Amino acid sequence: MDDLFARYDLDGFFDEVFATDGGAVRPHYTELISRLARLSPADLERRERIRDGIFRTQGITFTVYGDDAGVERTFPMDLLPRIIPASEWATIEAGVVQRVTALNRFLDDLYTGEQAAVHDGVVPRWLIETASGFTREAFGIHVPHAARCLVSGVDLVRDDEGTYRVLEDNLRNPSGISYVLENRAAMTRVLPLAFAEQRVRPVDHYGPMLLKALREVAPPAAGEHPTAVVLTPGVFNSAYFEHAFLARQMGVELVEGRDLVVDEHVVYMRTTMGLQRVDVIYRRVDDPFLDPVVFRPDSALGVPGLLSAARAGNVTITNAVGNGVADDKAVYAFVPDLIRYFLGEDPILPNVETYLLWDPEQREAVLERLGEVVVKPVAESGGYGMLIGPHATDEEIETTRQAVLADPRGYIAQEVVSLSRHPTLIGDRMEGRHVDLRPFAIAGEHVEVVPGGLTRVALKRGSLVVNSSQGGGSKDTWVLDDDPGGANGAVPIGLLRQEA
Amino acid sequence: MLARLAENLFWAGRYVERAEDTARMVDVTYHTLLESPYVEVAHAWAQLLDVLHLRTDFGDGPIDQDRVVQFLVLEASNPGSITSSIAQARENTRSVRELVSTELWESVNDLHLAFNARDLRGELADQPHALFSFIRRASMTIYGVASETMPRDEGWRFMALGRLLERAEMTCRLIDVRYAQLEAMAGPSRRLAQAATAAPDPDRVSDADEDAGGLLARGADRTDFHHWVAVLKSASAFEAYRRRYRSSMDPADVVEFLLLEPDLPRSVQFCLNGAVHQLEVLCGGRPSRAARMLGRTAASLRYRDVAELFDMGLHELLDDVQDQIASAAEAVADEFFRAHPSGAMHAIATA
Repeated sequence: MDDLFARYDLDGFFDEVFATDGGAVRPHYTELISRLARLSPADLERRERIRDGIFRTQGITFTVYGDDAGVERTFPMDLLPRIIPASEWATIEAGVVQRVTALNRFLDDLYTGEQAAVHDGVVPRWLIETASGFTREAFGIHVPHAARCLVSGVDLVRDDEGTYRVLEDNLRNPSGISYVLENRAAMTRVLPLAFAEQRVRPVDHYGPMLLKALREVAPPAAGEHPTAVVLTPGVFNSAYFEHAFLARQMGVELVEGRDLVVDEHVVYMRTTMGLQRVDVIYRRVDDPFLDPVVFRPDSALGVPGLLSAARAGNVTITNAVGNGVADDKAVYAFVPDLIRYFLGEDPILPNVETYLLWDPEQREAVLERLGEVVVKPVAESGGYGMLIGPHATDEEIETTRQAVLADPRGYIAQEVVSLSRHPTLIGDRMEGRHVDLRPFAIAGEHVEVVPGGLTRVALKRGSLVVNSSQGGGSKDTWVLDDDPGGANGAVPIGLLRQEA
Repeated sequence: MLARLAENLFWAGRYVERAEDTARMVDVTYHTLLESPYVEVAHAWAQLLDVLHLRTDFGDGPIDQDRVVQFLVLEASNPGSITSSIAQARENTRSVRELVSTELWESVNDLHLAFNARDLRGELADQPHALFSFIRRASMTIYGVASETMPRDEGWRFMALGRLLERAEMTCRLIDVRYAQLEAMAGPSRRLAQAATAAPDPDRVSDADEDAGGLLARGADRTDFHHWVAVLKSASAFEAYRRRYRSSMDPADVVEFLLLEPDLPRSVQFCLNGAVHQLEVLCGGRPSRAARMLGRTAASLRYRDVAELFDMGLHELLDDVQDQIASAAEAVADEFFRAHPSGAMHAIATA
């Protein structure tokens, strides 16, 4: 341990493993850290080799855009897992379920109901109507159980105090679940005995969970055995590996737009034995490309007539069309109010403090301290077009000021959240790196959250950017079944025989 | 299975075979020309372009050996070139990566990578045979791997079907190019059947002390012998032919062997029978137009007499067979790859 954590410094950040005052190992990490301390550098190297071998042979890759050769890279998984104790997870889980439930109610009411939240002034009508994800074409398209966000990947960050805050909801096509499953599979082979010492809640039921939810949202006419498919833009999409992975996990067909055809408002897939009816489409194609009749006419990825089939109630498209309205960062600011309005509850997970720049008072206050806040365009995700005040030049700040003044609706400002750090193996020792957490929620008849989720790591020192395309890595994320000190005796026998 | 994936597998099978067979044909043409002082070189290459139906793609430039060989091997804009076929085979396999074994994907990908890593121009200038052998071996590796790793499901059968149809067509062309060159060499009036009767004993051909006049007179026959050996070798059928026909090298026998022999893996008859079998399994009893068409072609060859083939014009017959195979391939696409609603307005959606 002396070697691995020599010169490990908290640098004033909230650290997932070490307590802020005194630097003691947090109770839920003691088992793991003491186990790691018994490993020699050679052991670690061997384990890294095992890990690399697993990822290479399984071809767990993503494609980096803009490269002629379409180079496929692996998404590096750090050897040290992130651990979340049971009680902490209970809060996250309840918070995510609450949030997704409220968002589903809001979206369903917006597109197929009375628009109550708008009528009652919870969210301004003009704000909804000017959101780029607001989709008039989605009006009247019903989704059973109002499960419009069938899969959501809610991005959480922890601030200086360790409080989990929601950064984005990702209600359209969140990706990353395949890494969660593959990371876990790899980890059980790299550090088997570490699992034996504490009970880690499993994640490998994601495929059956997703398939169950897909069947639950099938149109009633589909009967007992609805046919579900995964719709992918194709092999050149950066997340194709995940699309194929999910289809395989569920044992359903992975189709492209050209495999589907709509006849008399019914969707079929073209098979060698003729046309076969499709009832539920888990689509990983974005709204604008989904149906050239309704959206972009130049899209070759979609299926002509798909929306009319959905409106006729003959097929369920999920995630539902039009969810993007709630991903608008200005609408995001109203989610706590939507939770209170639809559920009559206080939000369990707070937002990051957000300022709405069309409001003259808020705008004025923000423009005076642009060097201290984060400014984001409302319709972007993944950190594009973002200004991080403390790291920006005077020129960048001035450009942003002009942009905000020209289009106050187009931007929001947030207080800087420093993002907690987690020890990460860099070379042959541990260094603190910033992490976030994307738990995945599945909504069918009920909303369920997969224990853990994807922990992304900004591998570059000091960086806050965790995206895979920009030098991010990941960590296996363990949710403990009990808090440390709780009843925790049983060890799976099979694991005892393996050597850690 | 999804029609698109079936079609990808069908074409993966066709393109690997096309790369291999094109290599075989360029190889046999190249090497027979080395040993044939009596043949107009440019004319021979023009004929190869003709039987491959690539004369138009080749364009108007001068036809010489270097240009034609480069066009058939390296030219990316030529859809029938070896390089294009390999790229297409890889793309089609890549689209069905989820369906095929890792080993199969790797063997196809390896062919693509290894082919492009070679000094192709240098090899064509210096040692073309090594390059062609490499392609032949890589292609056979791919089928070996497919055969040993893929379950005999629909996907496997479509891949096998593509391969068999492509090979049947290409073997027709292999015979045709040989036949065309032979006719050209002997003059337009000479019929192959007459050449057949004059086929020399191979032992006598290797005889060094033949008199000069005899050499000239027998030149055509002597080259014939080399040419037909080359054709058999390019179909990997030389040893089998030897065992069957002993030492005689009768063009009629060679044609009969490559066209009609039901037990030779590269013969047209063998491929057609195999394709019909795959289609029957795929259809599981339901009537198939493609199976009927191919079955008819196979049956019409089966009861043919080889002498009769020469009388009615071998070239015309080979053309006919190729046309029938092409129509059957169309029928396969209609039957299996282009499912569409019966409503007429949706027929265009298959584009």
